Amino acid sequence: MLDATIILQILWTSLATSSYYVLFAVAFSLVLKVTRLFNFAQAAIMTIAFYTAFVAVQWLEWPAWAAFAAMMAATLAASYGLERVGFEALRKRGVSVMFVFVFTLMVSEFVAYVAMLIFGTWPQTVFPVIFWPVTLVGNIAISAWDLPAIGATVGALALLFVFMRFTRVGAFMTGVADNPDLAELYGINKRRIFLVAMLMAGAFSALGMFLYGTRAQVLPQTGLSLMLFAVAATIMGGIGNVAGAAIAAVILGVIQNASILVISSEWQGFLLYVFLFLAIVFFPNGLRLPQRRGRFAPAAREILSEQDAPAAEA
Amino acid sequence: MEYLYGLIIIVGLYVILATSFNLIIGYGGLVSIAHPVFFALGAYASAVLARDFAVPVPLAMPAGALVALVASIALALPSLRVSGDYLLIASIGFQLGLLEVIKNLRITGGSGGFSNIPPFLIRDVGRESYVGLVLATMVAVILLVRWIARSDYGRAMSAMRDDELAFASIGRNAMWMKIAIFGFGSGIAGLAGALYAHYFRFVTPEQFELVQSAAILTMVVVGGMRTTWGPVVGALLLEALPQALTFLNFPPSILGPVQGLLFTGLVLVFMFFRPQGLVPAQDVWRGARKAGESR
Amino acid sequence: MASVLEVRGLNKSFGGIVVARNVDLTLHSGRVVGLIGPNGAGKTSLFNLISGVVKPDTGTVLLDGMPLDRLKFHQRIHRGLSRTWQHVRLFPSLPVIDNLLIATHDYPGERLLNVLFGRGRLKAHDRIARAKATDILAAMGLAKVADALVSDLPYGQQKLVGVARALMGEAKCLLLDEPMAGVEGASYAAMQRVVREVADRGVAVCVVEHNVAFVRDLCDEGVFMFAGAIMARGSVAELVRDPQLTELYFGH
Repeated sequence: MLDATIILQILWTSLATSSYYVLFAVAFSLVLKVTRLFNFAQAAIMTIAFYTAFVAVQWLEWPAWAAFAAMMAATLAASYGLERVGFEALRKRGVSVMFVFVFTLMVSEFVAYVAMLIFGTWPQTVFPVIFWPVTLVGNIAISAWDLPAIGATVGALALLFVFMRFTRVGAFMTGVADNPDLAELYGINKRRIFLVAMLMAGAFSALGMFLYGTRAQVLPQTGLSLMLFAVAATIMGGIGNVAGAAIAAVILGVIQNASILVISSEWQGFLLYVFLFLAIVFFPNGLRLPQRRGRFAPAAREILSEQDAPAAEA
Repeated sequence: MEYLYGLIIIVGLYVILATSFNLIIGYGGLVSIAHPVFFALGAYASAVLARDFAVPVPLAMPAGALVALVASIALALPSLRVSGDYLLIASIGFQLGLLEVIKNLRITGGSGGFSNIPPFLIRDVGRESYVGLVLATMVAVILLVRWIARSDYGRAMSAMRDDELAFASIGRNAMWMKIAIFGFGSGIAGLAGALYAHYFRFVTPEQFELVQSAAILTMVVVGGMRTTWGPVVGALLLEALPQALTFLNFPPSILGPVQGLLFTGLVLVFMFFRPQGLVPAQDVWRGARKAGESR
Repeated sequence: MASVLEVRGLNKSFGGIVVARNVDLTLHSGRVVGLIGPNGAGKTSLFNLISGVVKPDTGTVLLDGMPLDRLKFHQRIHRGLSRTWQHVRLFPSLPVIDNLLIATHDYPGERLLNVLFGRGRLKAHDRIARAKATDILAAMGLAKVADALVSDLPYGQQKLVGVARALMGEAKCLLLDEPMAGVEGASYAAMQRVVREVADRGVAVCVVEHNVAFVRDLCDEGVFMFAGAIMARGSVAELVRDPQLTELYFGH
């Protein structure tokens, strides 16, 4: 029954739970924007993040903050390795897009199988218990998890925004995203910028997994499913549009949660794939959000306009 | 003896799957992980038609292949309209999503599986005949893919892979070619599925998961893309290895992930160190040699 | 002297850069138009817009009076357009002759059904296409390299093959993007001869070129572009003599 309370409850819960979706989507979208790679190995990073936190809390019995730090360390190390050992080698070889796709997907699957071997196939969570005390505000149940989750996400996004807008490295990242070759001509170190993007994405993914794993159960394959959500959000938000991806993630999260009103829970997983498909078919260019126009120096005109134009336009 | 027949049939079916997948990703240059789901569609469609709708098996099997073909076009058409890269993402969604659907539908038996599939030949003529059927199909598929690759069509596919923009500049429609290849290859996978269903007479969604995608991809990548024998070598090798694994007496919970590790690990190793595979393809389109000889 | 290709009011900008500014251009049957201008003037972009590689912001392109605007790149080729590329873009996995054989107007091998069930059609088409391809190669002095791999050819010959490929489709309108860049000697003479022959057969030709001698000898009329706009039209001799245009060309 469509009661105002129920609607508000669903809206609140889905808003809170879309926190990790936003983080995953931003991570994926950022890497895509800066490095122009669909990083399907993000699922591997997410899996590593979760199980590090899990081991730290449940096997080593470390306090939460230490587990969080360990998780970050492991994730950043993994992201570093992926970029420097994996992607750089592939870039040097000039491999095709297909190669990178398959490669990154295989990396994620490989890590999932390792996780299956070590941790088995039963669901785990970061803390042994995922019960969080609930307060009633009006008639809406607000979990003690909700506000910190939203807070952490908003904080991370704010940091990202400040970084991109107001720091030198952030400006370089935008430059490399717009036109990597031109950026190199201007003396920007592409290699370093790619690494920074990967590390940042890793941090976002780790934070997202920490949030997810403190609220829901995780299987070795969960990383892959969550990443698909990020892919759908990235496509809907528009490739190269990190803010769009974040907004799309929230919308998709709300729709997915709200769908409980209309469809049974076992089909909710399926809904994700429907989203993905719809995103590809109807929003290949993403929802249009106003983008800042790139500024090109006069010297750039020669380099840019006399090249064969991108075939993707037709 | 029955165990051996089952093994030969499985290997034969995987050769068919690897060869048809090679057509799609090797010769067609398309990226997709959705091959097992078409294998599944062929198996389930044929099984359901034969068991619950009393369709005679010789009709149900091609119907299964047809279902796989139509479904693959439903996937490829909107995806390729956008770009080739999107096909990969869409195929992931399709593979995982359709499997979810199969797990939740009553008509397919849900995650428990679909059993009591009507047999074909094995009761009337004997299991040997079914082995013969599968092997004959396998040989036919190998020769067919080889023929297509060396034909005028293969020549066009080679050019399409080289430079799609230039391909368009000579008036050729890359999108329709890709859709045709994808449909054809997926239809063959569907036929393999039907062949599977009516021998083993029991299918479950687990048999068509992502690990099968990795397995088939490994067979093609490790065996050698764009060659006739690469996928065959890959399929033989990669079906022999799991059999060897069973002798190591792993418990079933370990066997699955170990197999997965093996497949994904092999793909990664080969992609990194020997991307051409065990049977290296030539850079030049093979059909040219034939044409040159005839003059 | 029928008008074959008409460009009306074409406008296009990429994120702040205007590559086409109200471009009007007409190509007539049997005439060679030289499109000249400094780097960045928008010449290749114009070719991209006409052929459909890029969509214009406004404006229209007509071939034999029929608007091409809704047609995709490969569909425009079927209507009778043809173009070459600045960077050649041959198919390295195919020998020279096969590069031409797949460039015919109709290519039955494009349909899987034909391969499976129509071998007769394929054979008949192959005979005709092969004859035409051999003729074109012979006309360019390339008969000997028909079976060679593209990568084995010197650059000048590769460019000739590129033009040969563009001719296989019996186009009404041919766009040549810097056919002479990097070409010298026998290939240069062959290119000149071929372009003239093509035009004499009634094809409307437009050539983007920096090589002034080539443009002056071959082109019936010249069009000077700068910063996306057409600045001047006239005989090539006039354009080359104009001090303002020279300033734009070199002073930029």
